[in-house]
Amino acid sequence: MSDTPEPVADRFYPVLPIKNSVLFPGLFLPLSVGRSFTRAAVDAAMATEEKTLVVVAQRDVNVDVANLDDVYAVGTVGVIKKLARSPEAIELLVQGAGRVRLLKSTQSEPYLRAAVQTLPPPLGGGEQVEALHRAVLDAARKVIELARPQAEIDVEQVLAQAPNPVQLAYLLASMLGLDVIKEQALLEAESPEVALALILDHLSHETRVLELRNQVASKAQQEMTKEQREYWLRQQMRAIQDELGESTPEKAEAGDLRRRLQESDLPDAVRKEAERELNRLERLPPAAPDFQVTRTYLELILELPWKKSSEAAIDLAAAKEVLDADHYGLERIKERILEHLAVLKLNPKARAPILCLVGPPGVGKTSLGQSVARATGRTFERLSLGGMHDESELRGHRRTYIGAMPGRLIQAIRRAGVNNPVLMLDEIDKLGRDYRGDPAAALLEILDPAQNNTFRDNYLDLPFDLSNVLFITTANTLDPIPAPLLDRLEVLRLSGYSEAEKVEIARRYLIPRQVKETGLPDGSFNLPDETVRRLVSRYTREAGVRQLEQMIGRLARKVAVRFAQGTTEPVTIGPEDLSELLGPERFSPEEARKQLPPGVATGLAWTETGGDVLYIEASLIPGAHGLKLTGQLGEVMKESASIARSLMMAQAARFGIDPGVFRRNGVHIHVPAGAVPKDGPSAGVAMVTALASLYTHTPARSDTAMTGEVTLTGLVLPIGGVKEKVLAARRAGITHIVLPKANEKDLRDVPEPVRNEMAFVMASTVEDVLAATIPQSARAGVGVR
Amino acid sequence: MPRDRILPTSMFRPPADSLGWQPLLDIYAVRDGWLLKVDLAGVRPDEVTVTIVGRRVTVRGLRRDQSIEEGCCHYRMEISYSRFERTVELPDDPGPVAVQTESRDGMLLIRIRRNTHP
Repeated sequence: MSDTPEPVADRFYPVLPIKNSVLFPGLFLPLSVGRSFTRAAVDAAMATEEKTLVVVAQRDVNVDVANLDDVYAVGTVGVIKKLARSPEAIELLVQGAGRVRLLKSTQSEPYLRAAVQTLPPPLGGGEQVEALHRAVLDAARKVIELARPQAEIDVEQVLAQAPNPVQLAYLLASMLGLDVIKEQALLEAESPEVALALILDHLSHETRVLELRNQVASKAQQEMTKEQREYWLRQQMRAIQDELGESTPEKAEAGDLRRRLQESDLPDAVRKEAERELNRLERLPPAAPDFQVTRTYLELILELPWKKSSEAAIDLAAAKEVLDADHYGLERIKERILEHLAVLKLNPKARAPILCLVGPPGVGKTSLGQSVARATGRTFERLSLGGMHDESELRGHRRTYIGAMPGRLIQAIRRAGVNNPVLMLDEIDKLGRDYRGDPAAALLEILDPAQNNTFRDNYLDLPFDLSNVLFITTANTLDPIPAPLLDRLEVLRLSGYSEAEKVEIARRYLIPRQVKETGLPDGSFNLPDETVRRLVSRYTREAGVRQLEQMIGRLARKVAVRFAQGTTEPVTIGPEDLSELLGPERFSPEEARKQLPPGVATGLAWTETGGDVLYIEASLIPGAHGLKLTGQLGEVMKESASIARSLMMAQAARFGIDPGVFRRNGVHIHVPAGAVPKDGPSAGVAMVTALASLYTHTPARSDTAMTGEVTLTGLVLPIGGVKEKVLAARRAGITHIVLPKANEKDLRDVPEPVRNEMAFVMASTVEDVLAATIPQSARAGVGVR
Repeated sequence: MPRDRILPTSMFRPPADSLGWQPLLDIYAVRDGWLLKVDLAGVRPDEVTVTIVGRRVTVRGLRRDQSIEEGCCHYRMEISYSRFERTVELPDDPGPVAVQTESRDGMLLIRIRRNTHP
């Protein structure tokens, strides 16, 4: 067993040459033996008690081994542990024992047999071995770690199997799958250092290869993962869209829009713009915020009546019939509307002036607009401007804003569906204005026939022709309307209705309508004129008929209750039944005061709800100075009072007044009702009358009411609202009215029956007024203290 | 030649210094000690040695391929031959013991009695 230069053979073994592999001591190696000379070697080994042979690697795999030159010089004694024979080959499991050096062959037929020298195991220790051992362990762990995805091995368990460093090296070599030259070099290693260094080299090589392999693999994996991820996300998105029911609908929507665009009749410029937006829409993903914006915009374009108009054949006779059927009275208004229509009939291109219906609530402005639409066969659309204070509301927001919408005007046109509707702009006097802009300014453009054929809505951003629209505006008063806007309007005033007119309206329209609404049988609900008159005077106070209609509705419902309970007889409601059905009378009649003390005059006021009678009271304040005014008077009315007093003082002699009275007394003028603000110059004559009565200490006539502006020189100037004032005076039981001479023409508006019942005095100077109101003073010329 | 790189770990149990095989064995707890039953069919009892050092019991010996006759050869070999060695640790140290072996039906019975009366 000594390692001498002259090796001594100590054992003889059959030799089993193998290809591509090396049997390491301590390890098992499964072998398949097929060649005849190797089979013979195995048979020879099996015939011995120990069943051992020498396993050695072939130098060249392609030759049949004839002698020891064809195999490596160092081999391993192997013990055959298991064997199974089949016709083709013998399957063996061989366990390596000790290393041997093959010295010389003792026979070559039928198998190779050799004399061998047993080699000592490469044992030894020391720090270097220890260091190498640890390095190998670390490297082995790393390799196995890297290879683990494929080889599911418990690292520590495998490494623990090796009882010594060399054995570990053998074990690792068998696991690494080295080529036969390297394995043979390891087998021949004479010391642990050499063996460990060799295996460490292989391990680090293997580590690099494995790392590279993992890199390549993980890169491939990453690429695949990215694609897979995208695919997966898309699938999910589709699933979600399916769930929400929007996957195909979007495409369908764009397709639908395109079809509608092709079918629609649009001006060229508009079509171009729509095409552009549609192309954009088709490219947009449905989830993009712009998708909805663009879609909404396109829908607006497609729905707007660019070229669609209703047949507007104007038949004047038919129009007149419609107007008369829908509205009682209002002769002048209807006349004016018919004139308007006549012009449109003769010259459809005429720049129609914009009508402005001005009047108190409930007098039928809106329904008049509807009648115009009906009379001309156009579509009616209404657009309330009340409270609108933002120009953008009228003209729209630019599409770039979130939640942008077209202006109300374009929306109304879209609702109308034709480009020549009757468009009623309601409450034009109630437009607001603030820092955001003045909607009235936008109205200027809209309502100017010279400009509105290219009206540009901010949202639509395309010119739309509004020149065919018949605009009708309404207002309660003209005062808040800016002058430039008012300039463009043709004002038609609807004053309040007289009692007789209201009765007529009730009979023709209100009662039948309420009967129909409550579902009463025809003829079952009778409201004699007498009852209506009582309703008008005692239960309502208004210029229009809205409250009246509510009262009639209430009565109709009371009757409906009876019918629902089984009554079948027609019900007639007399004036005396009203207090039972509607409760006590709400308004006591504005009875004229029977007797007026000196210093009180009956004035007439115009209010938004019609006219009113008001008493002007003046009283001397002994010892005081100047003029005191109460009753919430406006500036103009205060000035009227000053003018009246100055007039009295300046022309005291003319009116038979003792000038001393001014020095001794101040004067207080009050106009009830104290809480109601009042203004305007038309109380001038009443102030003068009140003061004249006061200073002359002569009562004014209680049956006479008066209205008119007074100048400092005593002239009486015309005022407005004659009809309302006369009607109010009539309601109050006044029989005589003093009016400015210049207002004589306005009497034409007063219904004839009223006109015939009353006496009118047309005054051009203060003298005329006083002659009519304080007849005694003029006659007697009585002075006061 | 097929090369199996991943060794079945159960097969890789060689004692560092011998190439023998390891017989299977059972250990019974009995009233006065332990009874070991070792699967040693085909092993002549005089070729088995049992040594006890503390808790460690070592059974070693040799199984010869005795059915060899002229002109025959293996068609299949699954039984392990030649040297064997098996060492087990008893659950406790029995102290001084009396050991008795007996071969019965191919099994080697090793009776280890606590020696309470030395």
